[in-house]
Amino acid sequence: MNVDYLSMMVILPILASIFLLILTSRLNPAARAKFDAPVRMAAFIISLAMFAVATLMFLGQIGDVGWNDIAFNTFEFQESYVWIEQLGITWTVGVDGLSFPMVWLTTLLMPITIIATWNEKAGATYFPLMLMLGGALIGVFVALDMFMFYVFWELTLIPMFFMILKWGGKDRKYAAQKFFIYTFTASVIMLLGLLTMYFLMDTQTFNMQEMVVQASGANASGVWLGLEVQKVLFIMLMLGFLVKLPAAPFHTWLPDAHVQAPTGGSMMLAGVMLKMGAYGMFRLPISLFPHALEEFQFIIMMIGLVSLVWGAIVCLGQTNLKKMVAYSSVSHMGVILLGIASMQPLGWAAALFMMFAHGIISPMLFAVCGAFKHHYHSMEIGAMRGMAKHSPWLATSMMFGWMASLGLPLLAGFVAELMLMVAYWYAYGWWIIFPGLVLAITAAYYLWSMQRTIFEGGEATQPPESLHGEPVPDIDNSEKIAMLLLAAFTILFGIMPWIFLDMMDMWTRSAMAFLGLGGA
Amino acid sequence: MGGTSETISSTFIEYAIFIVLLPMLAFPIILFLGHIFNGNQTWVKSAKEGGLIALPIMVASFVLSMLLISEFIGKGTGGHHIGDWLSFGWMSADGLKIEGKAFGVGIYIDHITVMLLFVASFLCMLINIFSIGYMNTDPVNDNRNHRFYAEFVLFCSGMLGMVLADSFLWLFIFWELMGLCSYLLIGFYYEKPSAAYAAKKAFLTTRVGDVFLVIGLVMLWNLFDSLDYAVVFNEDLIAAVDPGQLQLALGMMFIGAVGKSAQFPLHVWLPDAMEGPTPVSALIHAATMVNAGLYLVARMFPFFGAEAMHGELVDLAFIIAVIGGITAVMAAAIAFVQDDLKKVLAYSTMSQLAYIFTGLGAALWLANSLDWHHDSKAHDIVVVAFGAALFHLFNHAMAKGMLFMASGSVIHEMHHAHHDLHHHDDHGDHGDDHHDDHHDDHFDAQSMENMGGLASKMPITATAMLVGSASIMGLPLIGGFWSKEGIIANTWRVALDDPRFFLPAACVLLGAAMTGFYMSRMWFKTFAGKPKTEVAAKVHEHTPWIPIPLVTLTFVSLSSVILAGMMFTHWAGEPDGGYAFFSKKGMLKGLIYEFEHVFVNSDPFFFILTYVAIFIGAIVGPGMAMALYGGSLEDGEKAKPWMQPIINLSSRVNAKRGFDNSAWANSGLSNALKERLYFDKWYDAAMLKLVAGFANISAAFDRNVVDGTIKTIESTSQKLSTQVRRLTTGSARDYIMMAALGVLVIYLLLEVMI
Repeated sequence: MNVDYLSMMVILPILASIFLLILTSRLNPAARAKFDAPVRMAAFIISLAMFAVATLMFLGQIGDVGWNDIAFNTFEFQESYVWIEQLGITWTVGVDGLSFPMVWLTTLLMPITIIATWNEKAGATYFPLMLMLGGALIGVFVALDMFMFYVFWELTLIPMFFMILKWGGKDRKYAAQKFFIYTFTASVIMLLGLLTMYFLMDTQTFNMQEMVVQASGANASGVWLGLEVQKVLFIMLMLGFLVKLPAAPFHTWLPDAHVQAPTGGSMMLAGVMLKMGAYGMFRLPISLFPHALEEFQFIIMMIGLVSLVWGAIVCLGQTNLKKMVAYSSVSHMGVILLGIASMQPLGWAAALFMMFAHGIISPMLFAVCGAFKHHYHSMEIGAMRGMAKHSPWLATSMMFGWMASLGLPLLAGFVAELMLMVAYWYAYGWWIIFPGLVLAITAAYYLWSMQRTIFEGGEATQPPESLHGEPVPDIDNSEKIAMLLLAAFTILFGIMPWIFLDMMDMWTRSAMAFLGLGGA
Repeated sequence: MGGTSETISSTFIEYAIFIVLLPMLAFPIILFLGHIFNGNQTWVKSAKEGGLIALPIMVASFVLSMLLISEFIGKGTGGHHIGDWLSFGWMSADGLKIEGKAFGVGIYIDHITVMLLFVASFLCMLINIFSIGYMNTDPVNDNRNHRFYAEFVLFCSGMLGMVLADSFLWLFIFWELMGLCSYLLIGFYYEKPSAAYAAKKAFLTTRVGDVFLVIGLVMLWNLFDSLDYAVVFNEDLIAAVDPGQLQLALGMMFIGAVGKSAQFPLHVWLPDAMEGPTPVSALIHAATMVNAGLYLVARMFPFFGAEAMHGELVDLAFIIAVIGGITAVMAAAIAFVQDDLKKVLAYSTMSQLAYIFTGLGAALWLANSLDWHHDSKAHDIVVVAFGAALFHLFNHAMAKGMLFMASGSVIHEMHHAHHDLHHHDDHGDHGDDHHDDHHDDHFDAQSMENMGGLASKMPITATAMLVGSASIMGLPLIGGFWSKEGIIANTWRVALDDPRFFLPAACVLLGAAMTGFYMSRMWFKTFAGKPKTEVAAKVHEHTPWIPIPLVTLTFVSLSSVILAGMMFTHWAGEPDGGYAFFSKKGMLKGLIYEFEHVFVNSDPFFFILTYVAIFIGAIVGPGMAMALYGGSLEDGEKAKPWMQPIINLSSRVNAKRGFDNSAWANSGLSNALKERLYFDKWYDAAMLKLVAGFANISAAFDRNVVDGTIKTIESTSQKLSTQVRRLTTGSARDYIMMAALGVLVIYLLLEVMI
């Protein structure tokens, strides 16, 4: 039996989502509320099934793939169908060492996010949007057709936009608009770049695999499309991806979007959506324009460094817990750019592993922020102290998440940071002082915030007024399960990084050899 | 190491990983059980809230450690590669070839490992026993002890892992794990703002050091393409490395050691770390974790000892020694004015660790500049210098662990006495509200101003404290005497060759007198004289579990003369670890050899030096302390026969003293010392004013300027598009419609263009 699992993982959740949305769209709010629980269960089961499929794929139960031997520009589970014949647009899917960890991560985060936000209001609309988001994200990662890639890239915006708009905080309208306009503008520039590239190609194709072959053939003996054109196209594509990542100075949409977004939205946004930017960089500009990459290597490093340092310093000045975590994402995403700019297979692998590790750790951070807000009705650091006493579960989760994020060894984040430091010193020498500084600043803002939330507060501190004198609750069971799962995976990939690192390593090695890159 | 070391075949090395894994696995188990059974009477009484789960684990770790040690002691080095942890591609510098490289995991054992493994596993076990006595009888700890034991075993696992690791990478990983546990345990009383502050301070201060350690490790990796001891200690590979680069890398790593071992200028966290429960102070901040920095520096020996590096790394050796020298004197001076029993011990720890750093610095200097590979006399000098530093590490760990536990015993009984007294006075009964008095009153059970005359009331504790203090002071024949003399002598030996070393050499000599003073001061203030408060008069020793470790360690400290006779120094200092105990053909011959060397040195310079050190450390310092703080016990009270003469002497010296110390007590220097020489103040100010201020400005800049620019562009464009804005209806259907339209437009565009 030959089933196209990848396409199913993209189409099924989106179709299910549309079906569920239409099913309840004509009902009045009271009648719709009755559908909350069944719709949630349906979404949960679908997402769990997707996770099961992805995991079975990895374990070799579905298909028989030697994951650690997939070379650059070869794909597994590859399927292709004609979509729009006149234009040569196809529906082509496939996974490799770059995309599979992200696909698996998406399928992992979907059920966990649903669990963490089990009691979200208006579930009959919320959970289908979550399914649509998951399907669209997987679509981005498995698409091997440029057109298809772009369609899913834009499609991810829609559910996220509505999540912020409908379930967000006080300024949700502004944040949703900003999020949409900002990233949409960037992706329009990217689209223009893609189209220009398409028209300049010798043999016009939307198929990314063929594009890479074509480009590398030309790059081997010269510069594909000419260096100037390569540079311009590189900049156009990178702009779209840098905004998504986000890198300084294009990062300001992120704190607003995160602070206003509901917990589930934040978890998916930080966990997977940001990585679309990094994924896109590897898949398109880096794979197609290695010469331009070498030209811009130092600039990319500087952008990464500024994101890293600036994000960390701004974190230290935040009074809002979720904003602090959002800026810490900016800081961590800078690591990815540093990894790319190191021009070492190790640095690239560090970037890939950072995408993955941050994808597990940051949802936990946002789940903690969400629980904090949910239970204490405030986001201000210091509004609630002494959590260790009255909310030990939330306090433990927070401490775990914070420690994982600041790079404690044996947790996933450390692996990426260690690898990055080694590659970065090799390529840029004493610039390493800055990432080193950030290691200290990161510890400072996390520890300082813990001092004012988990610790202190004997009899002296009152619960925040927003609680109106109600007893202080700890997190509920669904939140506990989500935190435990995320913590377990953070430990698993911290102790056994090779589970995905080996295939990432293979991808980066073969990519660098294939693209003829080397020497910093 | 000249290729002389041979690899020992071992049966236990394959199981050595369990020394680390057992406590690590006990961590979630204790935490989980504690979470379920919290408050349950069986859990409290029979399992001691996890204490009796932790204890067998620590005993098992200790037994496994001893089995391993028995195979390696005095024989050589061994390694056991378990596997690759991270494997990755590495592009060669010419960009032509991508090779596979890896970070491995494994066990490495040599003489340094053996010594520290014994220290760590032995003390962890004893402190576990002590904790059951200390933690489980204090109502303030009720229902949170499982957290203590869980974090305790995780800490032990970190320490044991660091010692057994076979590469600098895994040393660092376990080093950080200990940092985490230290943070959790210092902040054990999380509701106290001072504990929260101290925990944060400890983590951040050591983190600053850790950043440099990481950079150092990364530099080292780039020099050797590996961090495994087996690779980086290879003489041929060391010979191929640029000495300047190596010195820089090792220097960076040394900064990490400075942070972890609380040396100037990263020392500020250690005294505050006393906010944690006393067993934690004993374990982390005296006996084990602070030794991590020393261990790291001791591990650098092969680089300094390599022939290819001859004379190239002396600057770093000097820096190590001078940081030690400065800290030794500074910390001892601050210890002069501390009234908190645990704070005195904290500064004493800092000062003694500094001694060891100076000793290591001198030993590394000697190893780096003497031709010890070929000259057997030079070889002996290097071995003894290195061995003395490591022997001091051993002695200090044993003595300081004991001193902290003894201080814990004092504090604990003071607490109980105060508690009893308080209740008899106010309520006349033991009510249920005994939680309150820990918060309400301001009685300080740790202040020596509230103690005095405890020698007769707490005989075991007082004896332990006496022996521990004597060991730290270096009273002849006891504990630290052997090693301290060695450190002083070797620092001076280097100073004769390299004048820069006069600074650390003078510091350690001066430090000997200062140690004599502040340790005696602590003992006399606590145990001699008349009780200064009602509470101190009512103290009894009655908590079970506590005496066991105290008595054990008292004997260990007393028996260092035996260790000296066994040629511990030579064994610990011999770089290939192949020096067997008793190699002087028996105890007696060994002792005679040591006595000759220490007391009747043939070199007149060292002969005089020894007696000067003994004189100022064992007579001048304690004498001054007696004059100021000595005194006889209350009438009718009598201490044990081995303590009574000392108390009587102190009272006589005190009565005869002809000077008044009030002028000194109010002097500017004394105030500066009480303020810890203003380091903490300035660091805090720098953090709050500079760093936090800059961060706030940055946050505002990000909001107003970086985001503001975008907002301006956005609002301008919005004005221009008021027409289009009408389309923004906020309804899902319209947006999907627009998206579909967009796709259609793109489609048409493509259609037209093609």
